[in-house]
Amino acid sequence: MKIPRLLLFVILVALSYFIFKAPGIFLKQPIPSSLIVMYMFFAVVTILLWMTSTEEGMQGLIGPIKRMIEDPGKKTLRNIIFVIVPIVAAGITYMQLRPTYEAPVELRSIHPAPPSTIKVFGKTFNLMTLENPYRKLEKEDPQKFAQLVKEGGEVYFKNCFYCHGDKLDGRGHYAHGFNPLPANFTDIGTIAQLQESFLFWRISTGGPGLPKEGAPWISAMPVWENFITEDEVWKVILFLYNYTGYVPRSWAK
Amino acid sequence: MKKKLLLPVVLSLIISAQAIAAQGNKENGKIIYDKKCWWCHGEKGAGDGPAAKFLNPPPRDFTAGWYKFKTTPFDEITPADEDIFRMISGGMNHISLWKGMSGTSMPNWDDVLKEQDRWDLVAYIKSLSGLEQPQKPPISYSGQIKSSKESIEKGREIFKKMCVECHGEEGKGDGTKKLKDDLGFRTWPRNLTKPWTFKVNNDPKEIYTRISNGIPGTQMPSFADPSSKKTLSEEERWHVANYVASIADDIKRPKDDTVLKVIRLEGDLPSKIDDPKWAEAQPTSFYFIPQIIAKERFFTPTMDSITARAFYNDKEIAILLEWDDRTKSIPGDEKAKELAEGDVLEDSVAVQFPVIIPEEMEKPYFGMGDSAKPVNIWQWKSGTTSAPETMKLMNANGFQKIEQRDAAKAGLKAIGVYNNGTWRVVMKRPLATEEKDKDVQFAEGKYTPIAFAAWDGSNGESGSKHVMTTWYWLLLKPATPKSTYIIPIIVALLVFGGELLLVRKSKK
Repeated sequence: MKIPRLLLFVILVALSYFIFKAPGIFLKQPIPSSLIVMYMFFAVVTILLWMTSTEEGMQGLIGPIKRMIEDPGKKTLRNIIFVIVPIVAAGITYMQLRPTYEAPVELRSIHPAPPSTIKVFGKTFNLMTLENPYRKLEKEDPQKFAQLVKEGGEVYFKNCFYCHGDKLDGRGHYAHGFNPLPANFTDIGTIAQLQESFLFWRISTGGPGLPKEGAPWISAMPVWENFITEDEVWKVILFLYNYTGYVPRSWAK
Repeated sequence: MKKKLLLPVVLSLIISAQAIAAQGNKENGKIIYDKKCWWCHGEKGAGDGPAAKFLNPPPRDFTAGWYKFKTTPFDEITPADEDIFRMISGGMNHISLWKGMSGTSMPNWDDVLKEQDRWDLVAYIKSLSGLEQPQKPPISYSGQIKSSKESIEKGREIFKKMCVECHGEEGKGDGTKKLKDDLGFRTWPRNLTKPWTFKVNNDPKEIYTRISNGIPGTQMPSFADPSSKKTLSEEERWHVANYVASIADDIKRPKDDTVLKVIRLEGDLPSKIDDPKWAEAQPTSFYFIPQIIAKERFFTPTMDSITARAFYNDKEIAILLEWDDRTKSIPGDEKAKELAEGDVLEDSVAVQFPVIIPEEMEKPYFGMGDSAKPVNIWQWKSGTTSAPETMKLMNANGFQKIEQRDAAKAGLKAIGVYNNGTWRVVMKRPLATEEKDKDVQFAEGKYTPIAFAAWDGSNGESGSKHVMTTWYWLLLKPATPKSTYIIPIIVALLVFGGELLLVRKSKK
């Protein structure tokens, strides 16, 4: 069966629209509507160019329209379509002009570059060389290491899990009240990409310790230096990697 | 004869096959428990893990052997295995953002634990209190009465007689009794107008289950128990369930839209709280979270959301804040004292704005500003039996640097009214003030950061102990320009004209 050219045109345009809308519908990551308008313009032009590249194609596309206008037998259909088309055009124009009041988009860097040194717990730490003092026990004394991980877990469940979650997935029972959402440690894009010294920095100085590109004014991460000890920070870092099964990044040797 | 015998045989085969499928391996259950569950529920299941004392409600004590949300009847203490399985898996309340058990920290485990692992946990958890299989089957829904106007009305009448003592006149959990569970923890009757906070959900069947079975270990009794003074017939219980399902108030449920749109009015703004004009404003609701960021952290909130509406005209802005609080806390009031945890302190609400509305992204720190960027805080307090309600104006550069200012001089006013479990407070201020470098100056069409906070004085909340929100937006919504309506009409006319040209051309 040969699909009428006009119908094919409509199908192709609808299909392109659906493809551009799909990320928003299925992945909750919509393409901005202004971009969709632009994409659709190019899509329609491309489809038209392709379909009218031959005389036959041109006729197939225009023919039905021409017949509808000229054939007296199709007068009713023509009148209906001629009423619908201006209304649809007005509708589209209105939707484009209508002011919307959505929240402004706030972009922030999720893993901003750390400073070279930080001052916490009354000391200066060089983040370039800083290492977790307990990491070496993983091989040297596995039993002691397991105990430290457990202690780190207790630190986590007394301090962190309200936001970062029982499952370390960033969906704790108070996470819904924050924007940005708390970090999901099970996601491959967070601690798996980072060094332990980075975590030490983020934990001990909290939201207010972020550089500007990290939007410190909206981060709800407390300044943990005020609540827990340096030792506890290192232990909770051990726990985060142990529970998720990720390995911290290290300087290539 | 043969046929009659066959049916029970087949049935019992099916049932035992199910029992085998549901039978978990408790040794494997323990392995999972020791990795995932003990942090809250404790090493031996006594509900005393490291996180326990920061949680309200507290984690379930598995050694006690009673479960709140079960389908087996009131005179059967043992829950069905499916009940425990469902609590572990989560997703019981589909309206809630929280996929675990809403209002608690119990998450849904169905995304990280396989089905068999969850059954194994059921077996292990039951073994902690030596629970066997229940002797009685789950309650039946065969007598369900479909919701209708009549049924809801009948349910309302029964509710008024039987339930308001704890759940309050309008079902917001603002009863007249201080409740404790069997372990001595304070419990709050459910606010029935917020079904997204229900532990399970507000399907009439679920509500019927709670009414019929009670909530074991709490003061929610079984209304099916014939020995109780509060017995209701099956039919009556369905009517109450239908009524309770009908009082959900979805306006109070926070949605994705986080912009509080301030609607322009010609003429005076409503100054009374019950002014019918408020119905024309656009309500926007926001989640409260307890202040867990700075010292002193606060973990046991009683209030979970706030709804705001706002109007402006060419002179003023008026914001109506509405939030459910089970207790009206007026220090000195005897009735308030009976319900309070500890001393009665004043109830309070506050809104926060940056002093300078940021042109770009950078705002003051959401927790009371920072040294470079101050915030305005407008705080209303409920007053005591000897002092009237108050309205304070503060400028803060962080919580340690607060300047008290003269609210009246800035033209800031507020009134508050408490009714049936809800506070309503109207705050008003001129759009512009004299001290332009100290007060936020509102302007049409400008996205203005706004944050909220509230204190429940009967829950020990004062100072840093309170519930709060992060930054959201307030927008004085400009009138839609006329061109928005005119241009589409012109487009329609042009297209129609084009069509006419086409027809004319074809006729030549």
